[in-house]
Formats: sequence, structure tokens, C-alpha cells
Amino acid sequence: MIKIKFQKQKISISSVLGKLGTSADGALASFIGRVRNTSNGKSVRYLEYEIYDGMARKELERIMNDAVARWKLGGCVVFHRSGRVKVGDASIAIAVCSRHREESLQAVKYIIDTIKKKVPIWKKEFYRDGSNWITDRV
Amino acid sequence: MKIKIKAFANVREILGYEEKPVEVPEDSCVSDVVKILSADYPGLKSVSAMLLFACNENYCSKETRLSENDTLALFPPVSGG
Repeated sequence: MIKIKFQKQKISISSVLGKLGTSADGALASFIGRVRNTSNGKSVRYLEYEIYDGMARKELERIMNDAVARWKLGGCVVFHRSGRVKVGDASIAIAVCSRHREESLQAVKYIIDTIKKKVPIWKKEFYRDGSNWITDRV
Repeated sequence: MKIKIKAFANVREILGYEEKPVEVPEDSCVSDVVKILSADYPGLKSVSAMLLFACNENYCSKETRLSENDTLALFPPVSGG
């Protein structure tokens, strides 16, 4: 029903969508977060993600199980990159499915918004002239 | 009592380690441990206002009492996604 993967390799969108749900699910919604080339006026070279693996899985499971119960999802998948991620590459991919579109669309928004508040993952931006942990964003 | 400290992101860089066993007085709470660590690592004070804590992989507060063999994680606000 739910699947979580933290990986150093590029995220393959086809493997995220893969065998999600069944033919009873008429809707599939997804969100892909990509690394932007600028941040606060600075040119970003790449990002590094650090993950508190055990706790991040627990928090994600909580969020995803909550979404599955609330919107009666047929499936729910979250992939997140760890380590260095290039500009333009996907840092996170979320996909869910449900019988109708409204449930899937709401669930995807809830999952990404809650991940950004609760799941212990941090990003560090690397510029030409230094680097910075992003710790003040909600 | 012995507990394990885990540190992430800029807190890991300030402490210079990701994980370390430390000896703290019985019945210490999270804020007691932060005080002990700040004495050895003054840089911790510069981020103390924004610190978040987890005990045994669950978010906890500064007032949470710790027990022998607990794992206390210290980290800044999250920024995944």
C-alpha cells in the first residue's frame, strides 16, 4: 500500500509510478520536486540532502498512512534523494492513486506540505562562493 | 547514566560528530544535556533557539526526561522535499 525509498541515485519517475494501485483506481496524482538553479539571488551549483533515516521513515509512514486512511488511497509512494543532487534533478517524487481525482490531488498536497514541516531531512545549498544549510523554511 | 547523542546538519558540523555516547547525570532532561554540550561546544549556543529534539526517533521537547540508553537527536528545522 505504501512505499518509501531514500536513494543516492537519480529518481526514475517510471519506477515511482510503477505498479501503483489497481484498475479500481481511476486517478493517479504525483508531485516532483526539482533542484532550482537559484536561491535568494545566489546561483546554486548543487544540493546535498542529509536524512535521519530511521526517524524519517517513521514520520513518513505516519504521514502516508494518515493520507491513505483519510482519502482512501489505493497506493502511496515517496522517493527522496540523499547526498548530492544536481540542479534540475528530482529531489523528491510522490505518487498516490485513488478511485477519483479529488482524493489523489488533495492527498499529494497534504503529503508534500507535511513532509516539509515534519520529516527529518535537511538540505545544504552549495554556491560558487560557499554553502548554506537551509534551516529557516516552512 | 549513558545516553547516545545524534546530530544532524549544522548541529553535526558544530559538534564535529554524527553520533557519540555521553555520560549525563541521572534524571537529566533534554535542556540539561544541551547545557552540558554547550559548555564543550560554544558554537551550539548560536543555534540553540532553533534546535529541535527527538528522543528514540520521536519528536520531544526541552523538558523531556531522559533514561539510560536513550538516543537524543539534535537538529535544526527540517528542509526536505
